[in-house]
Amino acid sequence: MILAYGLLIIAGIVLLYLAFKTGDRRYIYLAVAFYVIFPVLITLNLPAEISPEVRQLYEAVDSLPDSSVVLLTFDYYPSTLAETEPMSRAALHHLFRKNCRIFTMTTIPLGGPSIAERVTRELAGQYGKVYGVDYVNLGYKANYVAVLKGMGSSIESIYPADNTGTSLDKLPIMKDIRNYGDVDFIFAVSDNSIIDYWMSIVNAQYGIKIGTGVTAVMAPRYYAYLSSGQMTGMLGGMKGAADYEKLVGKPALAAKGMAAQSLVHLFIILSVIAGNLIFFIEKRSRRREGHR
Amino acid sequence: MKTTVPIIIAFCSGFIMIITFFLNPERGFIGRLEPEVLNWVTIVGGFTLLLGVVSIVRINYGAIKRKSENRGYKLATLIAVFAMAIPAMLPTGMSPLLGTQPGSIYDWLFNNLDAPMMSTMFAMLAFYIASAAFRAFRARNTEATLLLTTAVLVMLWRIPMGEIFLNSIHHSLPGMINTYVMSGANMAVQRGIIIGAALGAAAMSLRILLGIERTYMGK
Amino acid sequence: MNFAALTGRTFAIPALILLLILLADFADAQAVINEVTPDSASQITPAAPLFRFDRFNALAIMVIFSIVILIYTRWARAGRNLFIRKINGLDEVEEAVGRATEMGKPVLFIPGLQELDEIETIAGISILGRVARVTARYGTPLMVPVRYPMVLAAGQEVVEQAYIEAGNPDAYNKDIVRYVAGEQFAFTATVNGIMMRERPATNIYMGAFFAESLLLAETGNAAGSIQIAGTAQPAQLPFFVAACDYTLMGEELYAASAYLSREPLLLGGLKGQDWMKLLLIVLIVIGIVLISFGLGNWYVSLFTSV
Repeated sequence: MILAYGLLIIAGIVLLYLAFKTGDRRYIYLAVAFYVIFPVLITLNLPAEISPEVRQLYEAVDSLPDSSVVLLTFDYYPSTLAETEPMSRAALHHLFRKNCRIFTMTTIPLGGPSIAERVTRELAGQYGKVYGVDYVNLGYKANYVAVLKGMGSSIESIYPADNTGTSLDKLPIMKDIRNYGDVDFIFAVSDNSIIDYWMSIVNAQYGIKIGTGVTAVMAPRYYAYLSSGQMTGMLGGMKGAADYEKLVGKPALAAKGMAAQSLVHLFIILSVIAGNLIFFIEKRSRRREGHR
Repeated sequence: MKTTVPIIIAFCSGFIMIITFFLNPERGFIGRLEPEVLNWVTIVGGFTLLLGVVSIVRINYGAIKRKSENRGYKLATLIAVFAMAIPAMLPTGMSPLLGTQPGSIYDWLFNNLDAPMMSTMFAMLAFYIASAAFRAFRARNTEATLLLTTAVLVMLWRIPMGEIFLNSIHHSLPGMINTYVMSGANMAVQRGIIIGAALGAAAMSLRILLGIERTYMGK
Repeated sequence: MNFAALTGRTFAIPALILLLILLADFADAQAVINEVTPDSASQITPAAPLFRFDRFNALAIMVIFSIVILIYTRWARAGRNLFIRKINGLDEVEEAVGRATEMGKPVLFIPGLQELDEIETIAGISILGRVARVTARYGTPLMVPVRYPMVLAAGQEVVEQAYIEAGNPDAYNKDIVRYVAGEQFAFTATVNGIMMRERPATNIYMGAFFAESLLLAETGNAAGSIQIAGTAQPAQLPFFVAACDYTLMGEELYAASAYLSREPLLLGGLKGQDWMKLLLIVLIVIGIVLISFGLGNWYVSLFTSV
């Protein structure tokens, strides 16, 4: 395996050199393709430290009493499934294990309800959970500001029926559940700025603890909320998802994806170093020609 | 009249939303106006979807009619638009293939065509960031060098191999990156940008409310 | 119609009507309380107040902010000279359009990927108007793909008006602003295709962008376009900075309308905004000092949001 990865690094250097010589960026694309595909063929298990914000979220969920009411959101598009679906899956493993009553919802019309339906039904089957008793998919409703605010007074006023059209008052899970006051924790998984609205509308006005799962690009933005205590833990990108899978004891997609992510990161660092070396060499030779 | 009426509507709508923020919705009629206005926004937005469909049909049909280049792709666009929209709008009672529930044509097209294509486009970012890193990330000056160094450290910190490497330099290095870079400098900068952008947005909103900013009307 | 007359007539009447409704509502609420009989009084819980006093801090900030903006706007209208620093990206817009004219290639403008009710999109549409005026003057082709129907409608209105004001109404074509696709990556794929086929000389991205920012910018770079970007999305700024020639960051996007037009009213608003930022900095510094000496709890409670 070490030989294989060594050859991969040499191939990356060669392709970078070709990219520089020919000016054709497709050599770089080819290198990235190698680094993504290779770990799929030859598995590489890497030890990793758990990030503090992931541990904070895990402990917050773990400290919930059994049978707590949790709102799990699927606020992401299919394009970011690689980062966000592992978060949702790990969260469901954790929550089903604790026998929590789970309400899933989404503010994304394109695919949100389908993803929620698919993922929850698959995992519910593994834990023997019953739809309508242990979990319910509320689906999608337009105008997310109105939805987030409206659930503060009454969930049924916003969602009179679930995603399949069944009236909520017919579902046993809705017993004693009226609004945010009856929700113990919100686990918001998202790939867009809906998190800001969860913070400013729900956490700020109703005081409910909110933990989030966001894409890696968005994660730096939310350290401000973590630091102020408004956000109770955060899963940032595939690394956050892999850490949470590890804590929950169900390493899956994210853990496998970390090898590919690691290699591509290393290749990008190599590209940056190579690009700068070329820049300085060219600058030096231009200076020498200038002196002549 | 053409300018004044929209300005009055903008002012009244904005003023109502501001007032209702400070009133208790359990008391009085004004406090309950906010969710009603938000519903109206959703309804108006629904009608404007027609505009988009008309535009896309007009442009692509016009290109097909003129026998312009790439008209095959224009035809594919129109077929795709109607192939997804029409089965989704028809009632499920007529056939289980209609509507948007699992097992319908819409659901099949979404899961087997739309979702993979969206994921593919997003995945292209990995290739583009690598080429951008090779082409554009240059240590031209002190700030750029600082940016590059931080970027390299954070990229290493986020991967297991990188953590092992950083730990080998000093065991507290990953923790220091989390504390001083992510929760320190990054957080401060993000807060500054968020505050600045929020103030800019508030000022622009005030200008729209008062009718000073009218460019959205074409004036 | 000057601004004073506009504010006087346009806002006084609807503001008066709304205040009357508010007073009537308050009186009605008081009447309900007064109707409580001694028998029913024990069963009724105290009514919540009409005004949310827990949001008083937000009201205070809003009033101060509005007063500051209006004062600076009035000073600008009175002819006071207001300095605004150079924003390189905006200075280059006319140069970039000139480049496109010389090369005989079009200008591509994208006003962001959010709906018209978002402030960044309104800022983008505002800049589109200015850019359209320049392209109309030079006779440069302009392409404006949009993601939402309402942005399409606003964009068409703005561009048509710009062409009329530039004295070149015949050059306006309804398909300059075109609805492309409602889905993020479908939009991106189409725009990338437009870039690779049409090879615009200049790409201008002004508004809210998300994951597609690098896809658009790198494709534009591959097509050989000069690129000017502006967004208030902090997560996308690094990608634009890396891939574009000029980038407007955060509130520079909102300042663009005032900067390009140099209209006193807009400049006044911009200056007021800066004064407000200075006030916030002072408040933060006071807070840091008080908390460092352990005296800040009461101060923090002043800014608690509800």
